[in-house]
Amino acid sequence: MSISSASTVSLTRAMSHAAAALLALGGFAAHAQQQAKPAAAPTPPPSWQQGRSAEQEKSTLHPFAIHVTGKPAKELPVDKLKVPAGFKVEVWVDGVPAARSMALGDKGTVFVGNRQAKNVYAVVNRGGKREVKTVLKGLDTPNGVAFRKGTLYVAERHRITRYDGIEDRLDNPPEGKVVIDNLDPNKAPGHFWKFLAMGPDGKLYFNIGAPGNIVMPSYREGSISRVDPKSGIMENVAMGVRNSVGFDWHPKTKELWFTNHARDWLSDDLPNDTLHRVTRKGLHFGYPFCHQGDTLDPVYGKGRDCKEFTPPALKLGAHVAPIGMRFYTGKMFPAEYQNNIFIALRGSWNRTIKQGYNVTRVTFDEKGSPKAQPFLTGFLVDEKADPPMWGRPSDVMVMRDGSLLVSDDHNGIIYRVSYGKK
Amino acid sequence: MRGARSNNGAAAIVAAALSFFIACAALATDDIPRKAETCIACHGPGGNSTDPGMPSLAGQPAQFISMQLYMFREGNRKDPQMTPIASALSNADMNELASYFSRQKPAAPSHRTAAENAAAGRRLAEQHHCVQCHGPALLGLQHIPRLAGQQFAYLKAQLRGFKASTRFDMDGQMSSAAQPLSDKDIEILADYLSGLGGQ
Repeated sequence: MSISSASTVSLTRAMSHAAAALLALGGFAAHAQQQAKPAAAPTPPPSWQQGRSAEQEKSTLHPFAIHVTGKPAKELPVDKLKVPAGFKVEVWVDGVPAARSMALGDKGTVFVGNRQAKNVYAVVNRGGKREVKTVLKGLDTPNGVAFRKGTLYVAERHRITRYDGIEDRLDNPPEGKVVIDNLDPNKAPGHFWKFLAMGPDGKLYFNIGAPGNIVMPSYREGSISRVDPKSGIMENVAMGVRNSVGFDWHPKTKELWFTNHARDWLSDDLPNDTLHRVTRKGLHFGYPFCHQGDTLDPVYGKGRDCKEFTPPALKLGAHVAPIGMRFYTGKMFPAEYQNNIFIALRGSWNRTIKQGYNVTRVTFDEKGSPKAQPFLTGFLVDEKADPPMWGRPSDVMVMRDGSLLVSDDHNGIIYRVSYGKK
Repeated sequence: MRGARSNNGAAAIVAAALSFFIACAALATDDIPRKAETCIACHGPGGNSTDPGMPSLAGQPAQFISMQLYMFREGNRKDPQMTPIASALSNADMNELASYFSRQKPAAPSHRTAAENAAAGRRLAEQHHCVQCHGPALLGLQHIPRLAGQQFAYLKAQLRGFKASTRFDMDGQMSSAAQPLSDKDIEILADYLSGLGGQ
């Protein structure tokens, strides 16, 4: 609809639908307001409450904020952490602010991104002692980190940059070179932080989350996309993905697998957060029309059928918040762990009885059907308390020795899980 | 009877033990961290400010205090006085200060809400969803600040800053919430919030 030819009535409608855009026109909007006198736009509720039903208006459920200044491990009940017999869990390093996504450098540096700080941190081994260094500063939501052949790639809210040869100059890092920019032209609310991983095809994969809990995404939101760092060409890989902040490729089939966060405020048990397999480019996984492969959305599902969309490989539980995931390819754990998936479940807030808050192991039977079981537990203290936990797993990474690192952004700690005497 | 008497005896011991622990806790609370002395110079004893432009810290959620200090140090939130002070603090210092001020009792508000603004202020606080994050009694939680009894001029300055998108905002919630507020709304809201008591 063209604004200049609009009637007063349709202009009123345009005002209420696109108030922000019209207000940006300044004087014109003021003039239109005088003529049409539309009611002032109501204040939107905070984005985490978007999609609540009328009955949920008195709900006391709310997200849990992290300790951005971190908590020293010695102040936390880390002795409550549990792993299966034969495994050992220990604090690997603390004092990594808001530690979330991890990437391993060629020379052993562990790069750590986050959602709340402006820096990227690195954990280095200096004379046998682990040390946390601030390597990049002044970034915008540098959640995604990936490393390949000497280059660190960082996904900020709005762009992806590369830092060549950074491991040789951690104290004096090179200027970032832009791989792709303008990923968030509208400063969209909701899921604006990005996960980043490099695929076997040498392309960088990242999510563009839905701009709210349950809203109609634009053609490039609610997606996993990829960009070729050589050409800068970007493509959508998967659509209908509300927010995926963890993915990895199957070591044998080279297929992409990803975790996905389902919508909130439907109920305690619906819908499930999910694990997905991408058999080809261009599939649609359902959001916002169909959740968990079999549940139509009460609003956006009208007139749709879940058969239109690709179902998940596995339901992980409602609101469990799966973040980072990795296939286990190390040599340290027992043979049956080979090519299993580890998933960091950051844990539920939008649920009366809390669940998640663990690292889950996904195994496959002889038919290739996945099954989940808790692997690292003990973060959840009281499923009815507020807050119910003392820590939250947010990413997992297999080290070269085969041990598994687990980041905890709530406290700024990284744990290490090992097997046997190592 | 005997049973009752021995219960009383046990209760007396428990009460004595409790009062001892409470006394210890009070002593610990009174033990002002050295770093807090700098804060108190402006924010007032125990973090109860008497300057309308200077925020009170007493009874603010610990996570709110530590996060703001962190954001001042990292340059996300900027202030000519706070930026240099925060730049000298480690994360552990921030946690210690946050813990101390969150444990201090907020003084009864010195600000008196104008009679005509009490109901109007509450209405605005509900209409603009303040109560959704700051809590029904505006006492704050986690990283979200207590607004009840906060200094009048400070509240106004923050709301104007959010509206102008000049005040640091972690996730855009406050900048978005402040957009529909008129100058008069801000005046009424700040007047209402600043006069609110409550623990």
